Amino acid sequence: MNAQSAIERIKPRSVDELRETLARCDREGLKVGVTGGGTLASLGLPGAPADVTISTTMLYRPIAYHPSDLTVAVQAGMKLRSLSNLLGKERQFVPLDAPHANEATVGGTLAANWLGPRRHLYGRPRDLLLGSQIVLADGTVANAGGMVVKNVAGYDLSRLYVGSFGTLGVLTRVNLKTHPAPAKTRAFLASVPEGARERAIAHLRETFPAPSAAFWVSGFRNAVDGEDGDEGRLVVLLEGSEALVDRATRDLRSTLGRAGVPGASVLEHGSRESFERVVDAYVSTVGERSITYRVLAPEDQAEKRAMELQRLAFRFEFKADLIVDAMNGDVVMRVVDLDARSLGAKIEMFDDALHDVEPSAVVIAGDHPSRATLNVWGADPPAIERMRALKRRFDPNGTLNPGRLAGGI
Amino acid sequence: MSDALTQRLIEAIGADSVKTSPEDLAVYAFDAYTEGRPPNAVALPASVRDVSAIVKIAGELGEPIVPRGAGTGLCGGAVPVDGGVVVSFARMNRILELDLPRRRARVQPGLVNIDLSTKVAASGVFYAPDPASQRMATIGGNVATNAGGPHCLAYGTTVNHVLGLEIVDESGEVFTTSIDDAGYDLTGALVGSEGTLGIVTSAWVRLMRLPEAVRVWLVAFADNESAAETVSAIFAAGIVPTALEMMDAVILKAVESVYHAGYPTDAAAILLIEDAGFEEDMNARESAIEAIAREHGSLSWRTARTKPERDLLWAGRKGAASSMGQIAPNYYTQDVCVPRSKLPQALRFVDEAAREHAVTVGNIVHAGDGNLHPLLVYDKGDPRQCAAVVETGNVILQAAIDLGGTVSGEHGIGYEKRDALTRVYSADDLATMGRVRDVFDPTRRLNPDKIFPSGASCAEMR
Repeated sequence: MNAQSAIERIKPRSVDELRETLARCDREGLKVGVTGGGTLASLGLPGAPADVTISTTMLYRPIAYHPSDLTVAVQAGMKLRSLSNLLGKERQFVPLDAPHANEATVGGTLAANWLGPRRHLYGRPRDLLLGSQIVLADGTVANAGGMVVKNVAGYDLSRLYVGSFGTLGVLTRVNLKTHPAPAKTRAFLASVPEGARERAIAHLRETFPAPSAAFWVSGFRNAVDGEDGDEGRLVVLLEGSEALVDRATRDLRSTLGRAGVPGASVLEHGSRESFERVVDAYVSTVGERSITYRVLAPEDQAEKRAMELQRLAFRFEFKADLIVDAMNGDVVMRVVDLDARSLGAKIEMFDDALHDVEPSAVVIAGDHPSRATLNVWGADPPAIERMRALKRRFDPNGTLNPGRLAGGI
Repeated sequence: MSDALTQRLIEAIGADSVKTSPEDLAVYAFDAYTEGRPPNAVALPASVRDVSAIVKIAGELGEPIVPRGAGTGLCGGAVPVDGGVVVSFARMNRILELDLPRRRARVQPGLVNIDLSTKVAASGVFYAPDPASQRMATIGGNVATNAGGPHCLAYGTTVNHVLGLEIVDESGEVFTTSIDDAGYDLTGALVGSEGTLGIVTSAWVRLMRLPEAVRVWLVAFADNESAAETVSAIFAAGIVPTALEMMDAVILKAVESVYHAGYPTDAAAILLIEDAGFEEDMNARESAIEAIAREHGSLSWRTARTKPERDLLWAGRKGAASSMGQIAPNYYTQDVCVPRSKLPQALRFVDEAAREHAVTVGNIVHAGDGNLHPLLVYDKGDPRQCAAVVETGNVILQAAIDLGGTVSGEHGIGYEKRDALTRVYSADDLATMGRVRDVFDPTRRLNPDKIFPSGASCAEMR
């Protein structure tokens, strides 16, 4: 079968069905594209054309939830929104914070190692994962970890699957740590004059109690609500007990006042939605005219590096929308060519120039047809050959999502 | 072969860095769990280059490598089973880089855990993983076992605090990993691999801000069950303290005789609870926890008001295992973890097993994590007692599995528990772990006879 033939699309309803499908494809030399909700499909390389696509979305059921254990086990195809609804009934949550929670699956979010804005408090996806079940390319079903919060019985392979983009196997079950939900959530929105930006971001980082999330957002007008003038604005999420959030609000007002930020509006209702809109903006696109990069900068460098990247984008006559995550140091930049229907060859030149200054910049969104010609994963990690060896040992026939990961793994 | 080995090692790293006398070698046959066989040589590298040279020489001579921190491990992870070279990190114990603005440090594997927190305390930060052995245990050893400690309830275990590693592989090549790397999370896979996938020569670790407010409470109960149920009720109320430890009467008496920490010796069990955070929250959280304890029949509630008071209560807890010498010549520490809500049942099983085999047991429990350490007391000169302790430990292990738990919460598998792994993982599960080993240690020379079941070599190698 080749790319011109009809692609077989399968949504297994059981682990057995998935296992049989994978084993058959592996035997017959068919390439398998693995997806969850498809919300992060433009993160990373597109990969080789698939003969068969497998979506985990029919594996969506809860498996075990014991609120007083602070753990939950679900099938990997469960939607993030369903998970948060399930846990919300018990006033708990899992801080994965991936975009488009109505569509994104838990397994896909883990497989893509989505780095959410609250990770400075709660850890990365790998820190939330206690155990997993995976189906390997040859149909082997393998469990790792368990349903306890401390576990050093053998290798913790679950962590290896986080960020593997389905190239080692297909996640079917995930066991996660849950957290008690904060009693109070408040969003804090403020326009920031250009002269105050650097200080404001620096002060936010040092605020104690730390905000759960703090962004400086410039542009993304269609994605993020509110008017920000031309200079960008802050979106800050405060969470905790009522008393703590009150204190954090007072501290934040005075901190930002000192930094030269004139006024702010405080949202009680809709604060979660404001936060989610920023997260959705990370992967929002402008047709085929935009590409979005993410750089993981040291927290104290993020603002400076964001400005450098913006200047670079301007040199190429791109519009540049920016999100700076003050707490984690992420810089997200969406470059848009307003004059063209789609990004032309110019984006490739820009991509080279960008990686000259930010070798590890990763493409996280963009429907540009020749996205694969960009350096979407940035520089290869130092241990790339060991990663290739792992791929060969787990998937010797190169069946699963070939070419999707860094280094073309 | 040993002569050639000694000669080559001396040429590579110097005579004062190689130990080969029988007395020296005998010392390195032990860890805190057991005695293995003396190695053929002990090497004390001073640099990553030394480590690389040692591994290459051992490879050429077909000698296994056993990395070693302080030897405080409780499952035989650092004992040589079949000769080879023990690589002791005693001389690689420095902080290489300290980046306080970004709250991170790069440390050598031989750095003693507590030394890192002590060194940075004045800057308002600390290194969170705090195994009870932290005054001796090294960060390299902690990385190997993914060590926990009382405060990992709130802060997570070692893996949650390691940002990147420098590793010497089985061929002597050096490579680095970072949690920010694209591709597979090799950092996450290597932490907890007990020296079987590579030898850590430095680690970037995360430092955390010291909390603004800390309170420690000591709560006494008339029985284990009430204490354990209090723990579940605290979580059910949506409260996760920073530490939630339990000790029973046997332990309390032993600790009190050594530390005079003020533990009530007439209680059947105590909870040692620490909550750290912000002043605003402290009173409300204290009232809520106290009310829950009262509902579950607590006998007394004591607040440690000053730092010295808090430190004394913690010193007692961290010295609890070593205090057991007061009541018996020998003890065996079991380490199992169950889902939190199963703690009352698990403790009942421990009690029944000990009674049935006429073994005295003292319980130290990381109650907040469901992580039990029953200490089984015996006299190693008495074969009946030895057999009874082995059997009791075994029953406890099975009870934890039956309750949905696991065979090691934080000490590791090492040499001791490798056959127990088959009780929680299928042959396919273990073979999948074996695939990772195939990539990093195809010749099985890195800490052989650890983690993988002794009879599993076929499955593991397939």
